Amino acid sequence: MAENGQTQETVTVTIDGREVEVPKGATILEAAEGIGTRVPHYCYHPGLSAPAQCRLCLVEVEGAPKLQPSCVTPVRDGQVVHTESEKALQMRQGVLEFYLLNHPLDCPICDQSGECKLQDYVFAEGRKHGRSREPKRVFGRDDFGGDVLFYGDRCVMCTRCVRFMDEMEQEPLLTVVERGSRSVIDTFFDRGLADASFAGNVVDICPVGALVSKDFLHKARAWDLDHTPSICPNCSQGCNIELHTRDDLVQRLKPRENQDVNAHWICDYGRHRYEWMNRGDRIEAPLVGRGGGRRATGWQDALEVLLAGLEGAAGPVRVVASASASNEDLGTLAALTHALNGEGAVFRSPRAADEVALPGFPKLKRRRDLVPNRTGAELLGMERVGEDDGSGGLTEARDHEGVLIVLGDELPDQDGEFGARAELYVHLGSYPSAAAQAADFVLPITTFAEQEGTFTNFEGRVQRFWPGVRAPGAARPAWLVLGALLARLEGRAPETRPAEAFGRLGSLAAEFQGLAYETLGTRGALVNEPLRIAGDR
Amino acid sequence: MAATVKVMRRPEPGKTSYLRAALKGMGLTFKHMVNTEKVTLQYPEEQPDLSSRWRGTHRMEVHADGRPKCVACGLCPTVCPANCIRLVGGEDDNGNRYPIVYEIDEFRCIFCGMCQEVCPVEAIHVGVHFENGEYTRDRFVYDLDRLMEQDHAVTHLWDPSDPRSE
Repeated sequence: MAENGQTQETVTVTIDGREVEVPKGATILEAAEGIGTRVPHYCYHPGLSAPAQCRLCLVEVEGAPKLQPSCVTPVRDGQVVHTESEKALQMRQGVLEFYLLNHPLDCPICDQSGECKLQDYVFAEGRKHGRSREPKRVFGRDDFGGDVLFYGDRCVMCTRCVRFMDEMEQEPLLTVVERGSRSVIDTFFDRGLADASFAGNVVDICPVGALVSKDFLHKARAWDLDHTPSICPNCSQGCNIELHTRDDLVQRLKPRENQDVNAHWICDYGRHRYEWMNRGDRIEAPLVGRGGGRRATGWQDALEVLLAGLEGAAGPVRVVASASASNEDLGTLAALTHALNGEGAVFRSPRAADEVALPGFPKLKRRRDLVPNRTGAELLGMERVGEDDGSGGLTEARDHEGVLIVLGDELPDQDGEFGARAELYVHLGSYPSAAAQAADFVLPITTFAEQEGTFTNFEGRVQRFWPGVRAPGAARPAWLVLGALLARLEGRAPETRPAEAFGRLGSLAAEFQGLAYETLGTRGALVNEPLRIAGDR
Repeated sequence: MAATVKVMRRPEPGKTSYLRAALKGMGLTFKHMVNTEKVTLQYPEEQPDLSSRWRGTHRMEVHADGRPKCVACGLCPTVCPANCIRLVGGEDDNGNRYPIVYEIDEFRCIFCGMCQEVCPVEAIHVGVHFENGEYTRDRFVYDLDRLMEQDHAVTHLWDPSDPRSE
């Protein structure tokens, strides 16, 4: 609400007997949310305009002749509001009964069941039994193109989706056709949502099961899903998301509110790129030895042998990192490289030809960099090499003769000859790769979905993510593995928590100084000025 | 509590007659020969008369066209306290939601009947049935086809408005 606190005028209102001080101009609904009172609503959405047409947020305001729509009624000083008064409850019960007149009540086969606002409100405040004996109107379902499927019968005509397309996407591809009980959301002729870049958000904001995702259709029940706060790893915008997981598999990605980054929205590009998090072909144990002599072993054993190898190796150290790794992983790698007197690391990252912005919230773009942590890698002194499709740039590393360390890059464009001439080749990765054939050590590391950590987004905002799925086998976070090596080289106890690995970043790059893992919270914090990285991300 | 010991006197060999005890036992036996209230059931020639509320192995109801009535809503695996139901939902060619996989592990099942109680389309039922012998353990995981093949009577669950089933 208030951007600058001191100049903001406040008013005091009484909501359900509780006095609350809110900024002037706030609505009753916002004021009520502030003290934890949820007023039922459909058409109001914090990211969109409020047409006050669903008539569900009506509350009693003392002195007003009629019930007031709380989503558009601004608070006045000394106002007394009753959200749960008999009059308000009776009205809401009546409104809900109207909503159910034509609703098919097909909760058992509806994907929204369990996270449906109509279900919740009717269960909480609606009539126990319907009284309608009239036949219901039937629309059937309609393919809106893209990932969106429309079940007209379930729609409550809140028009959130229409307003999202008008105000946020600013490409009015949805509209209301017909009138009265026959009114329904529709696309324009054959032009659906297929070419919209943010259309997936209409599924998120639909309060009922009218707009559902084809990708998620019948896949899981809402109550089976575990929600883990995370950061979208598909571009450098760093949108706040939730991983919705079931049986240790990511089932879908949903946006998480952060007004500083993505408001309530995410793009379809990021939303639909989650299948790789469920890849089954994983390295599950540390592998030691080249070619036919390779054997799986335990971490203790592998690190002992690796440490002996590192101490015995004479050649210079060369590092290939990945901008998909967390700040902690990259920071520990940089510290280890430094301890081994190695050169600055390189990384490769795919880069799209253009950005895709959300016109209604222009800060949210699918950025050109299709990796989450390019800024973090560059702040830690790593250099981007290779082409915009994420290939090439590794001719020196390929034939390097000293110690070669690869972290997180699957090296899809390289063959078994990669690193074959290296004195010692350490490959830290999640997936088996042809380019790891010549490696002396193949160490299994976790993906971002399986570990805790932070990414630094395009503008230098450091944001935390949490583990949503279990790591397979003996896979461990890279900061833990590299930290154990580094600690033994330095003869001290290794870091055991990501916060400790994060704490090291300040000594590696001045931008990270003063940031504390614990205070990043769920909204993240900007790194210090001056940000050495400039230009278009 | 201190253990109390009751000292039993053993009958002394050669000084005791078993005749009285034997006659008493035989008397009881002959009494039961003419007793009308017999409890022995000549199973399997005679079948027990099971209660209509008996909860045995499951049965899936089918539509007239042979489709399962189940719509894969996911309530039974959610409510199942023994976690014995595995369900993967999907959509058939006509756009109907149906279970692609529906398996009940009858070994895990505790026959509480909650799956039947929670089912919104009256598809899954526990049955009035108890003869489930198999030669291998894996046969006790009933898949959808097997559940649909079952033809035994289904259970009448307890009805709160008719607590005595009258």
